[in-house]
This record gives sequence, structure tokens and C-alpha cells, in this order.
Amino acid sequence: MLRYLASRLMQGSVVILLVSIGTFSMMHLIPGDPVDLMVGEAQVTQEQLDMIRKKWGFDRPIHEQYLAWITNMARGDFGQSVVRTGVPVRNMISEAAVVTAKLNLLAFFISIALAIPLGIVAAVRRYSGFDYAIMVSSTLGLALPNFWIGLMLIVLFSLLLGWLPPFGLPSWQGYVMPVAVIVANQTALLARMMRASTIEGIGEDYVRTARAKGLSEGIVVSRHVVRNALLPVVTVIGYRIAFLLSGTIVIENVFALPGLGQLFIESVNRVDYQVVQAIVFVLSVLVVLGNLLTDLVYGYIDPRIRIG
Amino acid sequence: MSRERDLDQMLRELSPSTRREFLKRAAAMGITAAAAQAMIIKNPTIVTAGPSAKRGGTIRILSHQEVASLSPDDIGPTMQWNIITQIHNALVEVNDNFVVERVLASNYLASKDGLTYTFALRKGVKFHDGTEFTADDVKYTYEFHMNPNNATIQGVLFKAVDKVETPDKYTVVVKMKEPNAAFLRQAATVFIVPARYHGRIGEKAYKAAPIGTGAFRLKEWRPAEFTVVEAFDQHFRGRPNADFFRQDVVPDPSVRAIALRTGTSDSSAWPLLSEDNLRFEAEGGYTVFRTSSLAVNHFPLNNDHPILSDKRVRQAMMHAIDRQRLIDDVFRGTAIIAHSIFPPALQYWYEKGVKQYPYSPDRARTLLEEAGWRMGPGGVRVKDGTRLSFTCAVITGDRARRPEAEIAQQDLAGVGMEMRIVERPVATILSQLPKGEMDASLFNWTYNGGGGEPDPSATLAVGAARNFSRFKNQRVEELLPAGLREVDPAKRRKIYSEIQKIVAEEVPFLHIMYWDWFIIFGKRIKGLPASTQSGSTLIRDAYKWWIE
Repeated sequence: MLRYLASRLMQGSVVILLVSIGTFSMMHLIPGDPVDLMVGEAQVTQEQLDMIRKKWGFDRPIHEQYLAWITNMARGDFGQSVVRTGVPVRNMISEAAVVTAKLNLLAFFISIALAIPLGIVAAVRRYSGFDYAIMVSSTLGLALPNFWIGLMLIVLFSLLLGWLPPFGLPSWQGYVMPVAVIVANQTALLARMMRASTIEGIGEDYVRTARAKGLSEGIVVSRHVVRNALLPVVTVIGYRIAFLLSGTIVIENVFALPGLGQLFIESVNRVDYQVVQAIVFVLSVLVVLGNLLTDLVYGYIDPRIRIG
Repeated sequence: MSRERDLDQMLRELSPSTRREFLKRAAAMGITAAAAQAMIIKNPTIVTAGPSAKRGGTIRILSHQEVASLSPDDIGPTMQWNIITQIHNALVEVNDNFVVERVLASNYLASKDGLTYTFALRKGVKFHDGTEFTADDVKYTYEFHMNPNNATIQGVLFKAVDKVETPDKYTVVVKMKEPNAAFLRQAATVFIVPARYHGRIGEKAYKAAPIGTGAFRLKEWRPAEFTVVEAFDQHFRGRPNADFFRQDVVPDPSVRAIALRTGTSDSSAWPLLSEDNLRFEAEGGYTVFRTSSLAVNHFPLNNDHPILSDKRVRQAMMHAIDRQRLIDDVFRGTAIIAHSIFPPALQYWYEKGVKQYPYSPDRARTLLEEAGWRMGPGGVRVKDGTRLSFTCAVITGDRARRPEAEIAQQDLAGVGMEMRIVERPVATILSQLPKGEMDASLFNWTYNGGGGEPDPSATLAVGAARNFSRFKNQRVEELLPAGLREVDPAKRRKIYSEIQKIVAEEVPFLHIMYWDWFIIFGKRIKGLPASTQSGSTLIRDAYKWWIE
């Protein structure tokens, strides 16, 4: 088990290193750099632009810049933003990550808690009114764009009813609408998956055997069907962990939440090298860990899968 | 000096509203520029705080972007300007009607030869940490920008400055290497930082913890979320009426409109969608300022490009594009056609007598025929085997200007020109255009010196960092430095008129329109001016407002 973990972590570090080289090269291959943006419409001369580039080290060869960056990263120094110059990138990321993580974890637990029972019930009572209601609402939840649901909620609850703040996080109320939008979307996805895999499970031979043994329907479903039906859902959940910190860019934008997705997109637009690189680095670490965690959970749920 | 004294007297006798009107007219008459010659205009700051002004409350405005820094050197982005101007002051500042106002300087005098500026400083001005503002702070700030090692953004504004002297605690003398008529509006408006504090903590730390002489001091800064400044009791113009001034970051324009409507916010410092602007304007109950942008909406064209280097081709494009239709269809009428590189809002410098390009596809076709472009296969003109085709890079994801480019594309196709549209990031466009690595683009840019200063050297001089069209014209090369050396405003005006005429004739880039700039206030905010020429300067004056 420990050897397995060690080798997986080793592989993971290679992936992270490759991702960091990839991101770094991509960012530097874009013609133009942040200095042009930073200076904006100020009255500047070419000489002065060169001076500012030199101050930031953009005049140095790319491999030198990469080495300097990765060495700093290894020491826990995430570097300096060219735009938000007075604040270390580490603080920028940790502040933004807290907002995004809170938002997503809340939504994540609520949607799991909703989706799994809804999916099971819909499958067991297939073609019932309840099933149709779940299918229609989950289709809508997946098909309607997040930004649109978000705007409509703001129009309804802020503009017309005046119950909730239209943007930001002035209190817990600020979380209600953004979390609801994510929940709508994720519950739709997970409930559909849970329903499909439960239906598949119900038709299996071992379920018929269980019924033949005279087990009550409740025990058949909970012990035999659901346990097997959870596997594909766990895969999706594990895969979503990686998106916990990045998957809500649109929602952060609509509700004006200073999260990581927002920071990432703005930094890409501003060619803010160090911030983009640091965020991708953090995300790739999360993906690697998320995948590892999923595999470990598999072993727990499905005894046929042995890890070690 | 008699003219100045008369003016001073007149100003004192006028009531607040007419004073404002008077200042506006004074600006239009060119007294703006006469400021460079020791023109004295009484500081009109005290006039707005009428007897009905109420104390307390929080003014809440909305921004579309984060406030990344609070240092005066990072004042470029408008949303940063909104906050930095609340915290800091300069010796003189340009007001919302482009008039130079004395702020930290109680008086100033420019020598006739334009080589010496003497500033008498206000006494008893306090920084937020309680220390007194003196000549040392001015000297420190200016020398900080003049030092090339600091590589500041505003450093270039001081390039003509030789040295800064402080004969006593309340006098600053700036000696110039050569006359520079832009000095007063561009350099003397640079915000002053406290010498001892800034010297101790350094520029990097200062960006997060500024201390100025402004009406508000920093309370809380969360760059991507909000910034709050609070009233500074010892401010030299008197404590501001509101207790707090807060700017929230809300990227989505529709959500900003809703926040304004629900009263969650008092104003949006960055414009809303044009349909929302027009709706607020039509509804009444809101104070709506509709000013003209100082930046021209334009298609920069690579003047070294084998096809676009021909003046007739560029002129033909001006005639081929139906600009009024662009304004009406894409921007719902919230813009005016650009005739010159200066906006009409720069009243004193604006030249009406430039060559104009009315919409005329026939005229465009004639010009292209004259230039030897004959209609070829697929409706695209051909000359010596070359197709009349080029590529225009619009900003990635630019939802406002992409449709503009597409309509222009149709208009150009109508006269036999092919303009392909691609999307590129802003940073790429800004860096590739001046190097001639791109054919054309579409964005808005300011072709004057800002703050009512006309000098367009940064955008029109050969080799200038922002000469996006690689424009070169012998006469303009002579006129640009001459305009900066000339301190007589009437003579300067002739120079900039000629520059505008040359640029309109040569059309190095397609000057399309000036956008209307809307700033809308909710009912609560009082103390706003009757009219304004500059939306951003309007927000700088938040210290005059109160909440009803």
C-alpha cells in the first residue's frame, strides 16, 4: 500500500513538473507581455517600457526565467504579480481559494446529499411522475447556462423580491444564490448518473438472486444495487474535486465573488505570468491528489479492486 | 497680471453655479492653456459644500475590475484612479472641465521662457499620519520619478525637468532642461507621497498602504472584492461630507445595473450596457452624466503594409464605412462620429476645419481605381496580382467591438476590399502593432496628452511606443517637439491644428467615433455638478458629495 502510494506520488510529481513547463512555455509564447497592459494609456516612451521590462526580468532568456520561477516555487515562494505588485502571489491565491473552496464544498455536499437519493428513487420508480419530474428538471439543470440561471435568480430574489444581495458576500446570504446555481447543475448531473447506474444494477442477475432469496426490496436496493451503482458516480465526484477550485469561473463572475476562477481568467487576460503559473501548479497538484483519492475510494467500495 | 486679477475678482463675486459655468467658458476660451503662463484661477473647491450638505453615510460605487494597486504611479486604470485620487493630492489638478486648479500649491508662477516653475505650497496641510506636508515631499516625489532606477510609469512626464529645488519649507522651484508646455498638466498633477514614510517602506509596500493628503484615507483594501476609504478629519479642504467611500468590484454589467436599481449601490464608475444606460436616462429619478470619451474608437493600420501604405486606400476605407450606421446599430446611438484625433470635448484644441470623410462608397471606389486597384474575381480588387486583402485583429472576446468590425467588413467588401477578422489578446495587439507585425486592429485609444493637454507625441512620433500605425510624417515630426517647446497657448493651438489637419488628410488609422461615457447616480447622492466634461474626474470629487 505504501509502495503504491509512493509510486503514485512520484508519477504525480512528474506530471506536475511537465504541466508547469507546459504552462510556462505557453504563457511566454503569447506575443506581448504584461508591461504593455500595466502601463495602459500612460504617456510612455519605448526606452521606458524597456526599463520596466528589465525591472521585472522579462528581458532575460526564457529558460533562466523558468529556472528562477521553479526554484522559488520549490521554496514556497509563489512569486510576484505584475499587476497586483504590492501583494505576494501566495496571498492572492490563498485568499481567492478560500472563497471558491467554501462555495464549492457547500454546493458539493448539498448536491451529493440531494442527487444520490433522488437518482435511486427515480430509478426504483421508473416511469413514475416522480421519475419524469427528476428527468425534466435535471435536463434543464444541465442545459441552462449557469450565467443565465444566475442572472435570473438575481432578477427574482434581488430586484423583484429584495430578499438577497445582488452581488458579493456581505453575509451568509451572499452564498445562497451562487451555491444554488452550482447545486442545480451538479445535482442534475449526479442524479442522472445515479439513476442510470441504478437502473442498470436492478436488471443484474445478482439482484434477481437476492430477490429470490426473499430479501426485502429495501435491502436489495440498499445493499446490492446502490453499492455497485455508486462506482461511476464516485469517478465523477473524484474528477470534480479537481474542479472545486476552478469550475466556477462563470458564477464568480456573475455574482462578483473574488474567487480563484475569476483571478485565473483575469490573470490570463493580463498575461500575469506568475499568477497563472502558480494557479495551474496548484490545480495540477489537486488533480493528481483527487485522482489518487478516487482510486483509493474504489478499493473501499468495490472489493474486487485491490490496491497494493 | 491685471487680467488675472480681474478674473480672480470676477470669480469671487459669482455664485457657485455660475462660477462653474464661467470656468467652463473660461476653459473653452483657452484660459486653460494660459494657465501655463502663471494664469491664476481661484480654486473652486469650497463652493459646492452648500448649507444643505449632510454628514455621514457611505457612498457606494461599482467598478468592473479589481483595484490592483493604491500607489499614485499605478493611477492609469480608471478604477484605480477612483480610489487613488481620494487618498492623494497633487500640486495642481485638472478639474472635470479641464481647468487647472491649485490644490497643494496655493499659487504658482511659470517664467516667460518656460524654464522655471515656482510653486508656493499651502501651509498646514496634513498627511493621514498627521505629519505636515512640505516642499521636501514634493522634491522627494518628483525625484523618485526622475530616477531611472525606479523605472516608474510616470517617470517620462519628468523628462524635461532638470532639477527640483526647495528654497524654503513652502516653496518648490522646478528648473527645466528645456521648455515643456505639458509640464503643468502632466507632471505637476502627479500625486505627492510623504517623503519619510514612502522612503522608509518603499514603493512596493506603499502600493498596499498609501498615505496621502487626500480627503479620504485607506480603511480596507481587498483588491478583487472592494476598497473602502474613510473621511480624513484633518483634510485641508475640510472633512468630506460622507463618512466612507466604497468601491465594489462587480464584473458583470447587468448585475451592476441591478445593483444600481435596487439601491445597493449609488453609481457605476464603469459604464453599463448601452441599453441599460439609455433606460436609466429615459426613466428619470437618476442623475445621468453623458460625456464624450477622450479616446477615439479607431482601426489602427500598419502604414508600412504594402497595401495599406497607400494613402488613397486608407481614405477610401474612411469613405466606405458607414460610421453613422455603426453608431446607430452597434452602439444604439451612444457615440459621435470622429472627425479629428482630438475629441470635440477638448474645446480649445479641437480643429473643426479638418478634411472630413462622409459616407460615400462611390468616392471610395473612385479612390481605389485611382490607386490602380481593379475589380477582380470574387468581388475583391486586384493590383499587379495582389488581392486587396488584409487582416484585422480584434480583442479576444470583445463583444462590443467585434460586431463593429463585422459591419465595417461588409462595408469594405462593398467597395471590393477584403478585411479578414481574427481575435488576439490585448497584450499581443499592443505589442505587435507598433512593431508592424500586424496589419490592423480595432480598439479605443487617447491621441492627446490627457487632462486637457493636447500633446500626442506618445502616439504619433516616429518610433513612439504607442505609434500603433507606424505613422511617419516629416512635418508632424517637426511640429510635435515645437508644440511642447511653445508656451504661448495661441501659438500652440496653431501647431496642434496643423497636426490634426495632417492626420485627417493622411488617415494613418481610421478614426471612427467617440463613445458617450455614461455615469449614472442614484437619488441619494447630492452635491453633484450641473454638468461635466470628464466622467472620471467627476468621481475624483466624491469629497464634495453628500447623502440625502
